[in-house]
Amino acid sequence: MSLMSLMLGESLRLWLPELLLSVGAMAVLLTSAFAKRSAAATVMTWLVLAGCAVSLWAVPATASHSLFFGLIVVDPLAMVFRWLALGVVALVALMATNSSDVARAWRGDYLSLFLFVGVGLMLMAEANHLLMAYLAMELVSLTSYVLVAFSRDARSSEAALKYLLFGALSSGIMLFGMSLLFGMTGGALAFPALQEAVGRLTHQQTQACVVPVALVVTGLAFKISMVPFHMWTPDVYEGAPVPVTAMLSVGPKAAGLALLLRITGALSPMWPAVAPVFFVLTIVTMTLGNVAALVQQNVKRLLAYSTIGQVGYLLIGFSVHTSIGVEGMLVYLVAYLFMNLGAFACVVAVCNDAQDESLDAFRGLARRAPGWALGLAVCLLSLAGLPPLVGFIGKFLLFGAALQASQVVLAVAAVLNSAIALYYYVNIIRQMYLLEPRRAEALHPALSLRVALGVCGLATVGLGLFPSGLLAWLSRVAAANLL
Amino acid sequence: MVLSGFLIIPLVGMVVILLLPKRAVSSIRMAALLATTLVLVRSLHLLLAFQPQTGLLQFEERVSWIPQLRVFYHLGVDGLSIAMVVLTALLAFLACLASWSIAERQKEYFILYLLLEIGMLGTFLAQDLFLFYVFWEIVLVPMYFLIGIWGGGRREYSAFKFFVYTLAGSLAMLLGIVALYVQTQTFDIPELAKLAPSFAPGLQHLLFLAFFFGFAIKVPIVPFHTWLPDAHVDAPTPISVLLAGVLLKMGGYGFFRISYPLFPEGAQWFAGAMAWLGMINIVYGAFVAMAQTDFKRLVAYSSVSHMGFVLLGLASLTPTGMNGALLQMFNHGTITAGLFLLVGVLYDRTHTRDLTAFGGLGVRLPVYAGVLTFFSLAALGLPGLSGFVSEFLSFVGTFGVWRWQTGISVLGIVVTAGYMLMVLQRVLLGPLNEQWKALPDITHRELTTLVPLLVIILAVGIWPLAVLHLQDPSIQALVRHMFVP
Repeated sequence: MSLMSLMLGESLRLWLPELLLSVGAMAVLLTSAFAKRSAAATVMTWLVLAGCAVSLWAVPATASHSLFFGLIVVDPLAMVFRWLALGVVALVALMATNSSDVARAWRGDYLSLFLFVGVGLMLMAEANHLLMAYLAMELVSLTSYVLVAFSRDARSSEAALKYLLFGALSSGIMLFGMSLLFGMTGGALAFPALQEAVGRLTHQQTQACVVPVALVVTGLAFKISMVPFHMWTPDVYEGAPVPVTAMLSVGPKAAGLALLLRITGALSPMWPAVAPVFFVLTIVTMTLGNVAALVQQNVKRLLAYSTIGQVGYLLIGFSVHTSIGVEGMLVYLVAYLFMNLGAFACVVAVCNDAQDESLDAFRGLARRAPGWALGLAVCLLSLAGLPPLVGFIGKFLLFGAALQASQVVLAVAAVLNSAIALYYYVNIIRQMYLLEPRRAEALHPALSLRVALGVCGLATVGLGLFPSGLLAWLSRVAAANLL
Repeated sequence: MVLSGFLIIPLVGMVVILLLPKRAVSSIRMAALLATTLVLVRSLHLLLAFQPQTGLLQFEERVSWIPQLRVFYHLGVDGLSIAMVVLTALLAFLACLASWSIAERQKEYFILYLLLEIGMLGTFLAQDLFLFYVFWEIVLVPMYFLIGIWGGGRREYSAFKFFVYTLAGSLAMLLGIVALYVQTQTFDIPELAKLAPSFAPGLQHLLFLAFFFGFAIKVPIVPFHTWLPDAHVDAPTPISVLLAGVLLKMGGYGFFRISYPLFPEGAQWFAGAMAWLGMINIVYGAFVAMAQTDFKRLVAYSSVSHMGFVLLGLASLTPTGMNGALLQMFNHGTITAGLFLLVGVLYDRTHTRDLTAFGGLGVRLPVYAGVLTFFSLAALGLPGLSGFVSEFLSFVGTFGVWRWQTGISVLGIVVTAGYMLMVLQRVLLGPLNEQWKALPDITHRELTTLVPLLVIILAVGIWPLAVLHLQDPSIQALVRHMFVP
């Protein structure tokens, strides 16, 4: 008994950041129910996030610890994704407090839902057990459905319903796959046990096992918007409030890739059977995303397709299945966090002001708000992969990983896609700098939005010029992660 | 720190202008002019301190930048780049003077202008492939805005086309850089020049092609040239000067600095194609230029034709031809820069570039007429002026190797003489168009931008060794390096 409580205590100690986040989320929820002023919930949210950051800093990050009797694992890889999740939630919270599309319906529980998403994202990256993986995904999904509907207008509700239906279907498929896996491996659920069981399978059994693996991967492919499970993305991104779109475009993508790494790690004997599929889907995902983005006129839809394209680049690191690939993916994820959320911060500011989500809203932004135009231009050029910005460093590593693995086709496809993507990223810059504004008055976004853009812009430039610290950390993580 | 100064001075200038208020237009101009002047003075110091006879890399600086990727901040200058550095510093200074005519958003203009100067100088100074790529791409961004905001005509379209074309080319180059890094784990250009030539021929051919696309679009090599007339025509005058004078040279320089020393096998494999492409550039460019009625467009196409001599010289793989090619880059930079400035002078006064709208200006603007005649004759390759020397060297060096291509290219010279004389006739001779009766002659400031170029063209024409002795040892070393058994 005492041993058990000792283990539990140790688990709670290492899991303190998530614990703080969960308890904090509930506290924010309660506060918003009783306090009249929304400021109370906002202040509380920031206290929770600060506490989470401090405890995350204090948690040892070098070794791998199995917690809660093997349900979750805390290792250097999980550490990266915990910081990413915290970063997403913090930046999105900055945007959410001042986004007008939810101002009508402003409630403190909006922020508390973001905190819950944060817990789910962290759990997804830490899951070491099929059931835990499923629960973490559901936690992220259910809260996301509610968040998408938060504008409480017809478009937002439609998006949420669509997301719910697609999401429920893919969860069901995933669960079915898990149950098949459970049966075929003789009852293995924890990832280490699963790996051992799959390793013992005969050749025929391994081939039969492709079906459940494919089903499980389908559920994750839905989360990360991998083609052909991406159809929901543009509609949901368009309908959701902008900060929620921002969160969806980064958070679940990062966590989904983390879980994909863990599950394929557990099913590593199966990898040769599924690798060609991933290889093809990587190319299809980035091509479809980038080509479809070319013709978009709504900025949220454009960024939705751009997200699909970016997921394609990220999948390069996963598809080549080497530690350099994983390193490239992690670097690109950090880059993507800053450059994409920076772009979204600017979208929030512009769309709030114009009450319009078309690209036209960005016309002449350089005249109305030079700082904002510059910030967005930096983020977009980084997304396009121009040096010396951080997106370039990430892309460079990913291309290098593809060539290192002798996947020349993958590298060439990525390069061609970068050229296509350039068109629509530069088109926004063209709108901002080369066209005359529709309205002359200056843009005065709220302070919190300015902080969000400032942080993202500085990180995009700073990490691009001086990436060595980031690279040192992430290459250590990637080397320690035995796929 | 000798070379870093070239990058730091414009950077400081940028920060100073950033801190100045928007209204203080004259202070902004002076700050930019001061920065470009200091860079020019520094480049002349460099020229004096440079020791050409060694043929080695000099004034090297090497500091670790991204240790995980073995990226170094590595600068250096040798005979291949010294003339380009001086040319860039000179044209950036002259075009800065010519930027006085920019009438709006001066603060943003000069910040971007100095950023452009950093990118151009950095490209010629970098000795690390990663750093080279960073500077190469940095050039694109300010150029896009400079054409798109301060240009004329279909400026948005032209700026966009320029950006997308060149970036598509550089992405091919990026793939080559990544492949090289994966093979050798280094970005250091001198080190790569030792390692890469031992690659299997097939790989060398592929890598040569990857870099070729990047450089071909910049040069530009027909059929990748279609961005050039649009961008040159719609850019404001000082930016056209830099586009034609410096940016095109970046492409040619890439062959000298990267393609040839790193992939000698690829270069030999491609030399025949290069000779054909050079020939096409020379002849096609000249014929298309002849058909133009827009003065600026004509000069733009003449650039396509003149850059063909660079390709022809490169194709020879002989010291004579390659000396001609490198010298042609320098000469074309000075001559075309002058022609664009002269087009700008006329356009500022008449607001038209239509050649048929002029006539008889020789009487009204005698000084302008003299200068225009001088630059036109330089462009058509009059002996005694600089263009003749480099074109002649290219021909001599290449004729023994690619007889047919060189022979046909001579046709280009004839056509060039045709359209250049036609320009003189249409603008300066004939009856005076009454519309331009009161046109003032060229001003002192405008003349200041042209006289240095004029002196250089004459000096190099009479005593070409002044430039050749700078570059020849490095070219000899390069050719020896390429034919090591």
